[in-house]
Amino acid sequence: MNLIIKPAETFRGDYTYTNSDEAILRFPFPFPEDIYMYAVNVEPHVRGGPTSAYDAVFDIDEHYVGDMEDRAITLAEDPLRCQVLPHMNEAEWDTLELLMESLSYDYPEHFTLTKNGDEWHWVNRPLNIDQHFTFGRRETLPYGPFEYITRQVQGDFSVQDQRDGTLYMDGGMVTSQADWSLNFDVGMTFHEWHGPVPLAHEAGVFDRALQYLLRLQHGKPVRRLNWTITANPRLDTSPENYPIWGPEKAEINPANVAHRMCLRVEVQTLTRLPRSNAILFGIRGYLIRLQELARVKKWAIRMHRVIRDLHPQIAEYKGMPRYRQFIIDYLASYDDGSHLNSGTAPEQDAL
Amino acid sequence: MKLILAKIKVLSPSIRHFTLAPVSGTLPVAGAGAHVVLEIAGPGRVWKNAYSIISAPGAATYEIVVRRVEMSRGGSAWLHDHAQIGKVIEVQPPQNLFTPPRTARKHLLLSAGIGITPFLSYLHVPGLNYEWHHCGKAEDAAAFKALLPDAAHVTLHTGRNALNLAALLAAQKLDTHLSLCGPEAFMDFALATAEHAGWPAQKIHKESFGGATGGEPFTVHLRRSGHTINVGADQSLLDALEAAGLAPPCLCRGGACGECKLPVLAGVPAHHDHYLSATERAANDAIMICVSRAQTQELVLDF
Amino acid sequence: MGNKSRPIYAPFKLDVTGRAHLIVTNLAEPPLELAEGFDDITVWTVKTIGRGIPAPAAPGLRPFRAVAELLPQLAVRLAQATVGLRLYAIGSEAFIWDAFNVAITAGLDKAEIFVHHAGPLVRRVYCTHCRTMIEDVAADITPCPACGAHLFVRDHFSRRLAAFMGVIVDAEVPGEVPAAEALTS
Repeated sequence: MNLIIKPAETFRGDYTYTNSDEAILRFPFPFPEDIYMYAVNVEPHVRGGPTSAYDAVFDIDEHYVGDMEDRAITLAEDPLRCQVLPHMNEAEWDTLELLMESLSYDYPEHFTLTKNGDEWHWVNRPLNIDQHFTFGRRETLPYGPFEYITRQVQGDFSVQDQRDGTLYMDGGMVTSQADWSLNFDVGMTFHEWHGPVPLAHEAGVFDRALQYLLRLQHGKPVRRLNWTITANPRLDTSPENYPIWGPEKAEINPANVAHRMCLRVEVQTLTRLPRSNAILFGIRGYLIRLQELARVKKWAIRMHRVIRDLHPQIAEYKGMPRYRQFIIDYLASYDDGSHLNSGTAPEQDAL
Repeated sequence: MKLILAKIKVLSPSIRHFTLAPVSGTLPVAGAGAHVVLEIAGPGRVWKNAYSIISAPGAATYEIVVRRVEMSRGGSAWLHDHAQIGKVIEVQPPQNLFTPPRTARKHLLLSAGIGITPFLSYLHVPGLNYEWHHCGKAEDAAAFKALLPDAAHVTLHTGRNALNLAALLAAQKLDTHLSLCGPEAFMDFALATAEHAGWPAQKIHKESFGGATGGEPFTVHLRRSGHTINVGADQSLLDALEAAGLAPPCLCRGGACGECKLPVLAGVPAHHDHYLSATERAANDAIMICVSRAQTQELVLDF
Repeated sequence: MGNKSRPIYAPFKLDVTGRAHLIVTNLAEPPLELAEGFDDITVWTVKTIGRGIPAPAAPGLRPFRAVAELLPQLAVRLAQATVGLRLYAIGSEAFIWDAFNVAITAGLDKAEIFVHHAGPLVRRVYCTHCRTMIEDVAADITPCPACGAHLFVRDHFSRRLAAFMGVIVDAEVPGEVPAAEALTS
C-alpha cells in the first residue's frame, strides 16, 4: 500500500476536510441494493473487499494526522470520552498489542514495532512518536495502554467484556460518534446500549447478532457497515456537544447541501482479544461530501433511491427529517432510472 | 497449525507435562482459560482432544498437562505411550470457553484431579486475588504439588472428605466468584453444595463447550442442480457445497445473518443456528447451511 | 419488550434461593406483605419522628433518618455479609438504582439484587451537556437548572448513573421548544 498522508485538515470550524480522487474511489459505500433496512449484515473481516478501504485490518488513510489532532482536541475538552473500567486491564493491553501489530504489518513505512521480550519500542512516524515501554506495565506509558494506542488509530473503539451470556460495554474511546454517549452507556449490556435503536429489536436483529458475537472466535474477526448523514464533515457529533453542532444542521439548504452534507459510513470490526477474551469493537468512520460521492455514477443513483425510499422511523433516528428532501432533490438529477448491479464497488477506475 | 513436541516431563505414572513449540514463526496468544485441540491420528480415525494451555499468554511455547485416561486407547494413551520428542502434531488454534470472571474481586478456585489445569493458566492474570482448593488422589499428590504454587491460599486435599466444602462456601464474602473444574461427580457435588448455601448461578463458573461445527456425516441431494454431496464429520454443509465447486449464498458463516437459508424438500435438519424462530425450526422446511446438519442420513435441498 | 435499556419491574417476591434477605426502602414502610416462612429477613426504612430522631427500631426493622444515611450504611453491611444474601430495593426509581449500584460496588451480582419501583412516576434525568442530575422530572421535556438547556428525556436509562438521558431539544433552532407532555409510562 502506498499511502500518502495529507497535512492536518479540520473537522470543525472552517471544515477544510476534502477527499482526494483516490480517497473517493476507495470509499466504503454502504448500500449494495436500492433499498435499505436493518439486518445482521455481518461477514468475516478478511483482507480485501469492494474497495481498498478493506485491504488492512485497521485502515489508515490520507486523513490520519488531522483525524488524530481532532481527537486530541476533543479529549482535552472532555477526558471522559475515553474510559475503561478497572477489570478491563488485560483487554487494554490486548488492544494495544493488536493495533500496534496490525499497523506495523500493514504500514511498515509509517509504523514500526520492535519487541525484546516485554521491552517494546513503538515508532509512529506520521505523529512523530518514538516510545520505549514495558508491555504489561502501565506506568511506562504516558496514558493507559488503551488510551495510548487509540489516540493513534483512526476510528472509535469500545471494549466489551463477555459474561452472563451477554456483552458489556466496559470501556471505550469515543470522539467521533453518531450521537451516542460513552459516559452514559459505559457499563451497559448489549441490549441496553442498543435500546434507542428503532425497529431492529422487534425484528430480532440484536438477539441474533448477540448470539453470533458471543461465539466470535480468536483469529476470526468480523465486520459490518453502518451509516448516517452528517451536516459538515464533523467527527465530534456527540450528544454532549449537540448544542454546538445542532445549529449547523439547520443551516443546510438546497444551495449548500451538496457541499456540506456528508454520508458518514462506519466500518465496524469485531475482534476477539486473546488475553482477556473480551471483544474489541472498532467503529471506523469515513466521511464523504455528497458532491464528492456524486462523482461516482452508481453511488449517486443508488444513494438517491435509498434515501428516497427510507423507512420514516430510520430517517428520524438518523436525524434526517430537516434536510432529507434537499438530499433527494440534489441526487435526483443523477438518477436516470437505469438498473444498477448489486454490490458496493464503484465500477469505475477514475473520476 | 503444526506444532512440534519439544519436551515431555513425567509427573506421575498417569500424568505428563508436554511442551509444544511452533514449527516456524510464533504462536497465537492464549489467555487464561484457553485450550487447544490436538489432532492425533490413530488407526483409521483422528482423535481431537482439548487441553488447557497452562503457559503464560505470549509465551514461546504451549504447555499442557495430560492424564492418561484409564482403559483409553485414544489420544491421551497415545500421548503417554507413543508420543516422542520431535513428533509434529496438528493443533487447532486456541479458543477460550473458560475465561476467569474479571469483575470478581476474589476468585475461589475449586478443582479435582486433572481439573487442576485451567486454573494453572489463571495464575498468569496480573494481580489475581484467589483462594484455591485442589482435591486429588494420594498417589497423585507429588504431581499436583509440583504444579501448584507454594502459597498459603493454595491447599491440596488428598484424603476423602478432607475439604469441608459447605463451610468454605458459606464463609465467602459477597465479592467472591466460584470457579469449578473436575470430574462430573465432583462438579455435581460442588454445585449442589453451592446452591444450598445460596450461591446464585451467575457467580458459579464452569467450562462450557458449545458451538461445535462437526457431527455425524450425512449426504445431501441438491434437487435443482442435481448434485449429490457427502458432508464429512469435520466439515459444515456449507463447506461441503463449496468444496464441490458450488457457491451457495452465505455471509456470516455463524448461523446469525440468515443469508444461507435453503428450503428443505426431504429429510430432517438438525438446527444449530440462531436465525430461525422456534416455529420455523419445528416446520423443518428450511436450513441454515453454515452451521446446521441433518438428523436423517440424507437431506434433499432446493438448490 | 424487555430488550431496551428502560427497566421493567417485576412484582415483589422474596427469592427462595437466598439464605438471608435485606429489604431497603426510601419509604416509611415497605408497601408490601412480607412472605411467611423465611427465617432471616431484615427491613431498612427511612422514617423519623422529627428533630433528627429516627423512628424506633424493632426486631428485623431498622429506620434511618434519610436516604443519605441509609446508603453508606448499606455499603458497610454488604461488605460484612457472606454469599447467600439477597438485597431488595423498593421505592423511587432513583433510590432503587442508587441502592443497586452500592450493591454492585460491594460485589453482588445482578442476580442477587431485586429492584421494585413504588411511588409517583418521576424520573431522574442526566443533563448530557453539563452532567447535572435533575431529580423528580415528571414530563418528557425539562429545563436543566444548571446550564439552562431544555432537555428532551430520551427513552434510554443508565443503571450506572441511575438516570435517564436528557439531551437539548432545541439545538438546531434555538427557542423551538415543543410543549412538554407528562410521563405516562
